[in-house]
Formats: sequence, structure tokens, C-alpha cells
Amino acid sequence: MENYIVEMDGISKSFPGVKALDDVSFRLRSGEVLALLGENGAGKSTLMKILAGVYPKDEGTIRILGKTVERLSPVIAQAMGVAIINQELNLCDHLTVAQNIFLGRELTKNGILSQKHMNEQAYRLLSRFQIDIQPDTIVGDLPVSKKQLVEIAKALSIDAKILIMDEPTSALTSKEIDNLFSIIRQLKEQGHGIVYISHRLEELQYIVDRVMILRDGRYITSMDFRDTTLSEIISYMVGREIKEKFPRIEQERGEKIFEVRNLNAGKMVRNISFSLYKGEIVGIAGLMGAGRTETTRALFGADPKESGEIIINGREVQINGPMDAIRAGLVLVPEDRAKDGLCINLSVRENIALPNLDMLTTPLTVVNRAKEDELTSKSIKNLDIKVAHPDVEANSLSGGNQQKVIVSKWLARNSKVVMFDEPTRGIDVASKVEIYNIMNDLKRKGIGVLFVSSELPEILGISDRILVMADGRITKELDVKDATQEIILEYATKFENKLEAGIGA
Amino acid sequence: MSNDKKQSRWMKIFSKRGMGQVITVTIGLMVLVIVFGLINPNFFSTRNILNLLRQIAPTLITGIGQSFVLITGNIDLSLGSVVGMSCMISATLMTKGVSPPVAVIITYAASMLIGILNGKLISKAKLPAFIATLGTMTIARGIAQIVNNNYNTDSIGEAAEGFRTLFYYGKTLGLYNTIWITFFIWLVFNFILSMTRTGRHIYAVGSNLNAAYLSGVNVSATVTKAYLVSAFCSSTVGLIITASSGMGTMDAGNAYELYAVAASVIGGVSTLGGQGILLGTVVGASIWGVLQNGLQFAGAPVAIRNIVIGIIVIIAVLLDIIVRGSKKIGKSKASAEASRAGITR
Repeated sequence: MENYIVEMDGISKSFPGVKALDDVSFRLRSGEVLALLGENGAGKSTLMKILAGVYPKDEGTIRILGKTVERLSPVIAQAMGVAIINQELNLCDHLTVAQNIFLGRELTKNGILSQKHMNEQAYRLLSRFQIDIQPDTIVGDLPVSKKQLVEIAKALSIDAKILIMDEPTSALTSKEIDNLFSIIRQLKEQGHGIVYISHRLEELQYIVDRVMILRDGRYITSMDFRDTTLSEIISYMVGREIKEKFPRIEQERGEKIFEVRNLNAGKMVRNISFSLYKGEIVGIAGLMGAGRTETTRALFGADPKESGEIIINGREVQINGPMDAIRAGLVLVPEDRAKDGLCINLSVRENIALPNLDMLTTPLTVVNRAKEDELTSKSIKNLDIKVAHPDVEANSLSGGNQQKVIVSKWLARNSKVVMFDEPTRGIDVASKVEIYNIMNDLKRKGIGVLFVSSELPEILGISDRILVMADGRITKELDVKDATQEIILEYATKFENKLEAGIGA
Repeated sequence: MSNDKKQSRWMKIFSKRGMGQVITVTIGLMVLVIVFGLINPNFFSTRNILNLLRQIAPTLITGIGQSFVLITGNIDLSLGSVVGMSCMISATLMTKGVSPPVAVIITYAASMLIGILNGKLISKAKLPAFIATLGTMTIARGIAQIVNNNYNTDSIGEAAEGFRTLFYYGKTLGLYNTIWITFFIWLVFNFILSMTRTGRHIYAVGSNLNAAYLSGVNVSATVTKAYLVSAFCSSTVGLIITASSGMGTMDAGNAYELYAVAASVIGGVSTLGGQGILLGTVVGASIWGVLQNGLQFAGAPVAIRNIVIGIIVIIAVLLDIIVRGSKKIGKSKASAEASRAGITR
């Protein structure tokens, strides 16, 4: 009975600074759907990318269909029947469905591409699963949901026995999910093994046979789905070890400084309303794709918004671009340092001065170097940025120090509200504590702090109040005293139930 | 103590952005000058040096404009056509009896329109710079052809003698006026680029457009300003050509946009944006001019000159990539890995 098609044992994997997987074992049977569950950063995607040959493993053994494999690459994994369907789809938008399905293994006749042959085969494949797409459609013209089906068809065309689906339903409508699930059931009957990664726990009941839970890069448990409950699953997912000590400070809550009313901006920011008071840090928790970054960007004016009022110190402010937000005293430390935060080949001095040039220039807009040097060295000293000289390129600093440079850009001005988006991602523990201390310092000075993080211990350790987001909405507001990881995760997975209308099966 | 201070000042000059490349190419320039001086003793004659400087002027002036645009991370292919357009507009107006000062003002105004068009097409309509300026390049050349009904102009006449003296033939304090014009343009734009808020914004936009935008920089205005500088510089060169030849030539400035890129890039301005200084452009344009002048002196035919210069451009950029690459590749690989881990775990 125990005919496993994938057996992974003792898998470990480290990235610089983090141990992503620690001695993890994994089993997949033929003809089952296995849900691989865990919080952001639990190691789900890393484990599956090792199986698909995207990352090499550090330690451990992998057996696929009974054969032990030492070195895996995406090509070898594919040849052995492993296909991964990513959240970010890997299709060529300008080619047709059939051309995508046969990409890299085009059918030829006498050395010439046989378009007709490929279209015929693609058609047979698609109709076998009742996928209603013409093989000669240009992929770019298809909606995301259909693209996902093309990706699945592509995986099936190489006769993949092992299918890994990473958040396949996040972009689908209920009818499309219904369709996807019936395809998954068909595949199951035909003996394929399917690994299903999803944050949408309420979907599991329709297709899943077994669940496996990872936490902090470690194997926690696996069990048959019918023997468990959602709340039991959640309790296994959370409970991450709290390694760091969080330097919380107590502060009297003061007057309201910031209020957002009914902010709407696209699909990921819907009807967001909240307030922020002097002397408190408000954490925004949620899973990836919950709309947290989009919310901060819309508030900052970096992305356009459809509606909503922003009130700072009792006065409504019009924010149509970052410039307006900065002038109103609302600033953002963005999520992606390299992409949005730093001018990496400019000096530390120039980076810190950039948003503050209005205060550093003479009426003729000549930059006053003396003032600039003063501001820079003050910032470097205040935030204890480790840098040989303010004129070195920002690129040469460590991640933690780069983050401090970005933060210091905004502390030189009299900002009233500072939004931090994942400020501690990818930096070492010591720097994390320094970032917490900076936030505490702002809290002490009566500056509003809004703090987005995917790390629940961090959210619980630093914030005074917590907003939980899912699907672009705030699903719960919690005082930190009442908050636990379980409660937060419960609300973070509270998606609008697309399936309510009911799939009977 | 004072020794320490002195050292840190030197360190400052050397560690200044782009200085490394400028120092390397300056050594290259000196080698070239010595070699040509040995081949031909007349190379160092006052006459030749003055001519050489005046020969460098158009490449340097357009190089300054192109450097501004390159530092924002864009490119200006319309530059050479704006030179031709300015040459034809100014010459046509003067042959029709318009007074030279008025003709000069109209010429500058027309060029600025092209600059604004470039800037807005790229920063507002989000056209790729290569495509947008390819379009305006063709448009400006078309204007150069249409203003005098598809003919080069006649002589701009005696009324324009003052204009010709001012822009080309006259000398002040022993140097040709063209050299002085070049010097002042460099001085002003170097000041703007290195000392003012606009200059900072130009570097920031070229270095990381997203970060600049999120820091409150008006990206569209900044890019447009860079194209305006480029248009102003090209227009000046167009006027110098009119003054020197005494007539309007429709294909004046042909391929200057590429010479300007070459001068900038040899001098260490990165085509990827965010990097380079105008001192480098001076050295780059000088290498260009010295090679032209020196090879001509040495009796090399035009074809050989082109091939040699082409090779020099490739070597200069290749060296730069190798030097920068060896410094950064290790680090950026590691950080890419780390960030991937952060995102995908």
C-alpha cells in the first residue's frame, strides 16, 4: 500500500543568514492530494523548489518514483515527472497555447516545425480535461485563470506524475476554482500525486486527502485530513518559537494623529479604515498578498487610489503623489530595499539627503554641503549606522545598515507618521533589535508608527494594536493584550468564501 | 593630525563618484598626446593646439548634453538632428535678413521644444527613450530639410559677420571664442550637476527611479530638464557650425549623437544611469579629438580613423565593465540569493 512516489529524507537548506529547512522529511503517495501548510517563511516553497530542482539541497536524500537522485536540476526533475506550477506563471505571453505547451520540445517534421501536429496534440490534451481553450490562442490574451490551466496542461503534456501547485486559486473566481478542483480530482484518479500549497484553509475540505505542516523550516506533523479540524491545523501552524527578546516600551496613549477612512485602491485595498494615536505602534499582520504593501503605497500616494480620506492631526490632506505625503508628514520605508529604497550607486550622504534637499538648499537650489554633512553625520550617529565614510556607495553596506540609511532619510524631517513595510526582512538579529528601538524611539516622541510585518512574533512583540488583513480588507482589529498567534492567523486566513455558493462534491 | 586631514581630503577626491575612471582615461589621454607628439613635432605647435581645442568643442558640448541624459538612465538620439536643425534654422533666418541675435533666440527656442517633447514623451507617455528620441531625431532632421525647401542655404552674408566672430572666428585673451563658449557651458552645467538640487535629482532618477519617486523627486520634471540641457547644447553646436561655415547645411551634426555618447562613455558616464561626472566627458571628448587630429596628422585615411576610434570606444567601455564587474558581482550574487530566500521561503 505504501507506494510513495516521492520520498525526501533529512532535507536541510540554508541561505545566507537563515536556515530555511532543517532535517525535513516528506512523503507523497500516488493518487493523493497533499496540502503542504505553514505560515509565510515556514519553508514550503523552498522544499518544493528543491523537489523541482530549482534549489540544490544542502543535505538529505531524495527518491522520486523509487529512484534515488543525487543531483537535481529543473531539466532532470521534469524528465523524472515533477512539474511545478508557480504563483508567478512561467508562460511566454506572445506565443500560442500550443507553442507554450511544447516549448523546448517542439514537434518537427523533416526539420520544420509541425504546427498542425502540435495544435492537434494540444487540443487532445486540453479536451481530455474539459479545458475550454483553443490551442492556437495567444496566451497573452487569456485571463490569469486560463493561463493557469495552460500551465497545468503543459505539466501534463510532459506526463508529470508529480504536480506541485503553489497558491493556484488566488486569482480564480469560484466557477474557475470549481473547474480546477474537478481537474485535480481527475488527476488523482489517474494516479498523479499532487502537492497543494494554499493559505486558503477553507478550500482544503473539497480536495485534500492529507495535510503536512511545516513551521520555522521544520517538519511538525502530517495527518489524514478527515481526522483533523481546521483549528487543530492552525494550532500546529503557529507557535513559532520566539527567539528574540522584543524591547517593548510602555507609553501613555495620546491624541489621535492619523486616520484613514474608507480607502479603496484596486483589488488589494478595499474599504480600509483605521486610526493611529500618539505613543502607539500599530502593526499590520497578514499573509503574503493580503494587501498590506498596497495599502501603505496607496496611503503614501505611490499608487493611485479610488477613494478615501486621509486625516493627519485633524486635518484632511490631499495626497496625489509621494511629494504630497512627504509634505504632509506621512512617510514610507518601503518593503524592497534594492528596488524601492536605495539609490545603490549613490553615496550614503546623497541617499540620506535626497528627500530632504528642500531643507538643505539655498534659494538658488544650490545644495549647502555644510548643512548636508551635518545632517548626514547626525543621522549616522543617531542610528549608529556602521559606515567608514558618508561618501561610500550605499551598495557596500550590510542589509541592516542599508535599512538604517533608508529609515534615517525620513527621521531628519519632522514626520508625523512613519510607515514601515517589512523593515526587518533579511537583516540580522542585532540590526532587527536596532530597528525595533528606532520604532520605540518614535513612539516615545509621539510620532505615529505603522508597521507591516509577516513575522507574527515580531508583530506581537512590538505593536500596541494589531490590524489583521486578508484579501485587501481589514478582517480584525486587536489590542495586543488580546492577541495570540492563533487568533491572528485565524483572521489572516479569513478570505471571502468564494465557495460558499457550494460545490456539492 | 594635519597629515590625517590632508589624507582624507585626497581620499575624498579619489573616492568621489566616477573619479577612478576619469583618472584612468586621463592617463590614456596623456599617452596618446605623447605618442602623437613624438610622431609629429608640429602636434605641439600653438596653432595646432588651438585648432585641436576648437575641434574638440562640438563633441564636448554635445557630450555634456548627452551626459546629462545618460545619467538619468536615458539616451538622446535626436541630438545630432537638433544640431542640423539649429544650423539650418539660424542660417535660413539670417539669409532672409533676420538680425542675428533674433535668429539665435528663435533657434534656441525651437530646439528647446524638441527637448521638452523628448522629456514628456519619455517621462509622461512612458515611451522608451531609444524609441522616443529616434522619432524626434527623424522629425528634427525633417525640419532641417524643410526650412529652406530642401536646399542648403546661401552664405549668411555680411550682416552676420559679428555672429560669425562671436561664435567661431574671434579670439579673446588669445583663445578662440568657441573655446570660451565651451568652457562656460561646461562651468555652468558642471555646477548644476554637482552642486544643485536638480543635479542630485538627475543622479537619483538614473540610479533608482523607484527610490527617487518614493523620496518625493519629481521624476518627470527631472528627466525633462536633462533633455532641455541636451537640446540647448546641441543648438549651441548648430550655431557654431553656422558661424564656422557661413551657411546652413542640412546634414550638419550627422551622427553627433553617437560621438556624444562615445565622449561620455569613454569619460566614465554609465549608459545604465546614475554614474559619471562632466570632468570625465571633457577627457572623453579630448581623447576623441586628439585621435581625430593626431591620426589626421599622421596621414591616416578617414576610414582607418573611424575604425581606430570605434575600437577605442569599445575598449573603454569594456574596461569599465570589467573593473566594476569584478568589484560587484560577488556581492550582488549573494544578496540576490538572500533576497530570493526571503521572498520565496
